[in-house]
Amino acid sequence: MSVLTDERRERTDGRPLLEISHLQTSFYTDKEVIRAVDDVSFDIHPGETVGIVGESGSGKSVTARSIMGLIESPGRIDGGAVKFRDLDTVRRFAKKYDKRTVDVTDEALAEAKGNDAETDADAFRSLVSKKDFVFVEERNGDEITAGYVDTTRAPDGAMRNVRGGGIAMVFQDPLTSLNPVYTVGNQIKESLRIHRGLSGQAATEKAIDLLEAVGIPDAARRVREYPHQFSGGMRQRAVIAMALACDPELLICDEPTTALDVTIQAQILELLDDIQEERDLGIMFITHDMGVIAEIADRVNVMYAGEIVETAGAVDLFENPRHPYTRGLLQSIPGTQGPDERLRTIEGDVPTPNEKPTYCRFAPRCPEAFDACDRVHPVPVAVNEDAADHAAACLLYPEDRSREDAVTLHDEQGKGETDAKTSGTTTGGATSDGTAADGGDTQ
Amino acid sequence: MSKQTAMESEATATTGETLVEVRNLKKYYEGGGMFGGDPVKAVDGVSFDIQKGETLGLVGESGCGKTTLGRTLVQLEDATDGEIHFDGRDITSISGEELKAWRQDTQMVFQDPESSLNDRMTVGEIVREPLDVHDWKTPQERRARVRELLETVGLREEHYYRYPHQFSGGQRQRIGIARALALEPDFIVLDEPVSALDVSVQAKVLNLLEDLQNEFGLTYLFIAHDLAVVRHICDRVAVMYLGNIMELGPADDLFDSPSNPYTHALLSAIPEPDPTSKRDRITLRGTPPSPRDPPEGCPFSTRCPVKIKPEEYRDLDDELWTRIEVLREVIRERSRAERSLSDRARELLGMETRYSSIEEIREEVFGDVAVPSRVETHIDEVADYVRAGKEAEARRYLFEEFGSECDYERPELYDVDGVQSVSLCHRHQSEHEEPATVYERQLSASGSK
Repeated sequence: MSVLTDERRERTDGRPLLEISHLQTSFYTDKEVIRAVDDVSFDIHPGETVGIVGESGSGKSVTARSIMGLIESPGRIDGGAVKFRDLDTVRRFAKKYDKRTVDVTDEALAEAKGNDAETDADAFRSLVSKKDFVFVEERNGDEITAGYVDTTRAPDGAMRNVRGGGIAMVFQDPLTSLNPVYTVGNQIKESLRIHRGLSGQAATEKAIDLLEAVGIPDAARRVREYPHQFSGGMRQRAVIAMALACDPELLICDEPTTALDVTIQAQILELLDDIQEERDLGIMFITHDMGVIAEIADRVNVMYAGEIVETAGAVDLFENPRHPYTRGLLQSIPGTQGPDERLRTIEGDVPTPNEKPTYCRFAPRCPEAFDACDRVHPVPVAVNEDAADHAAACLLYPEDRSREDAVTLHDEQGKGETDAKTSGTTTGGATSDGTAADGGDTQ
Repeated sequence: MSKQTAMESEATATTGETLVEVRNLKKYYEGGGMFGGDPVKAVDGVSFDIQKGETLGLVGESGCGKTTLGRTLVQLEDATDGEIHFDGRDITSISGEELKAWRQDTQMVFQDPESSLNDRMTVGEIVREPLDVHDWKTPQERRARVRELLETVGLREEHYYRYPHQFSGGQRQRIGIARALALEPDFIVLDEPVSALDVSVQAKVLNLLEDLQNEFGLTYLFIAHDLAVVRHICDRVAVMYLGNIMELGPADDLFDSPSNPYTHALLSAIPEPDPTSKRDRITLRGTPPSPRDPPEGCPFSTRCPVKIKPEEYRDLDDELWTRIEVLREVIRERSRAERSLSDRARELLGMETRYSSIEEIREEVFGDVAVPSRVETHIDEVADYVRAGKEAEARRYLFEEFGSECDYERPELYDVDGVQSVSLCHRHQSEHEEPATVYERQLSASGSK
């Protein structure tokens, strides 16, 4: 596990590398609308590993795919924003797509407010046209000093540039993410060619270097071999080498070790840790294995039925799980209680999130559910006053308030949030102050 | 500890009878045809017993032969050599009607509930099939039996007419279990029954399996790669590596004080659901060797961090020793890699091949460590062989120069002091240090660096 250093913080000015706010992705089928990702917000800082855990069908992978712009019909991103704050990318895109770049600096906002907009959100909306996707927040003369690219609004061409360039992804099964008819070297060289314009001998040498960097011995031979000649662990190393080819700022790992044996898994986790230290990568790590999350993550988001139900630092979460679902999940791992005890289980199955939540989606399975759970939708709140960094979406919290108070708080904030969302989807941080939706900022 | 006593009482309840006795079992897959080459030695001589009413765990990495062993035990595969005694009868030699009759006593539950159920049959038909095949009583009684079974595994009677795709993963696995129970078997091979399931669903299926065992006095062979699951459900555990059983012992002994170097490494690789745990991790180098070309000596010798060094190199630095092992691995891989026609042509024409020169490898492997001259001369020799394209000779040379008894000689299963386990490792001989001692020294050395 890596610790955030001040230096790293400074580089991005304390801003996160990736900011996901109120992301909403749904799949439209003939039968129903499945809200696979339902109002999810979290941040990833440079050099930080953010873990996403949850059972299958909880929306982990759809979150990752939404960030990468890989949602295909019948899926659609309905709302929210994914702000990628890598300055190089913002500057490059601002130049290339200057017609689709918009200034949302404080001055610009103030000016818009001066005209006729009433609130910040209104001002923001009056500035931004439908096609804009590069947002400039601060300028120093001509130079952009802060801003972001919203990947949910970016056109395909720009996204192709971000994918593999700024944000890279490692998938679960290395055999399906490698093309069997090209050599491994060829596939690494492809992204070097597209993103860096390298070709020929230079590309081959770079590919060999990359394979060496991920710990593949005899790389010069391996670079000319085909995926089937690699073992499972080697293949995943090769996929990681491909992802690193263009020096991404953020690496999204979707269950990268699930298909691997434990001894190989240990090697890959160690490799990711080394790479992160070396390159100061932000890593988003998706898994269903609580053991792996405990090992690699600095911060953990627990997902259930499309929503983040609990978010906390890794140590805090495992020592002190607050949401009843997180507790149930941890208790059903064999080995967490005495060997002769029966395993504790969570009754029922994960529901399909196919309607707007006006209740707690976990309530039917929750051992601690009470009346209000069926009519109030919990929003993420700090579990108590001292724990700004630990939030749970559960009516039991904040625990230092009376139950009625807590329920009222959830009810009001839930409504407030809906209002904000209907009035403007990409207002960016103009909503839900103090709630854990912005938990990352309060770190 | 409580588990062990539980196991003993269970064993006495079933009079400690041995149900399955496996002796020197081998399963080789021949390459076939003229260019078949070496056979794949999936299971390479294993022996063990399973007591009535117990759960024996079988763990190991993928490709270690655990599934093949399970399938051979229920005669889905024919053994190449060795014996399997089931209730005193050698079942490798029976066939025809006799085999069919015996099959009623043993069943198997498969790993992937998505592919082990026929999507075109209703759940009722799936569970009834074994009853139909074995002509069990009357059709009416069969249907009643299926309904009863569905209830036993926690499904409902009305599920009889539904199709598998209408069920979730956990429920499908329950259907597979119901089918296995249909003929009231004594012995069930569970091949990774919970690996495809989420942890909360997994817990339910594990509880069900335990309940069924208590209710029907079943004997399980539980194959898994998740060690936490194995520890929870098994009485005794066998650890497999490259077709061999490396260690076999009561679950608590094996997990609390592992004896074999491989078990040590395997256990330390499991991530614990506790971010504060400060455990010393032993990360193994590389991957298991090909089962077509297993090492002559100990199966684990190519990756073992506590391998015995030959007498004359015992004073060598551990770091340098590791590098020598890496070099051996590179050469071994090369001598096995297939050369394509174009590679050979390039070689003949003196063009650059995909094989990087030995100098590059030397630089990569030994670049940043001091190599004493007595080692250097041997590496020069190896480099000469490689330059001449004689990888097999280079490999042989390294083997003879740097090999120890771990490379030459196949170890036996030794009884280990203090625990009830047996372990396959030369280090259990009295003239050597125990693996645990060597690991401790290595870890404290790397910690103080």
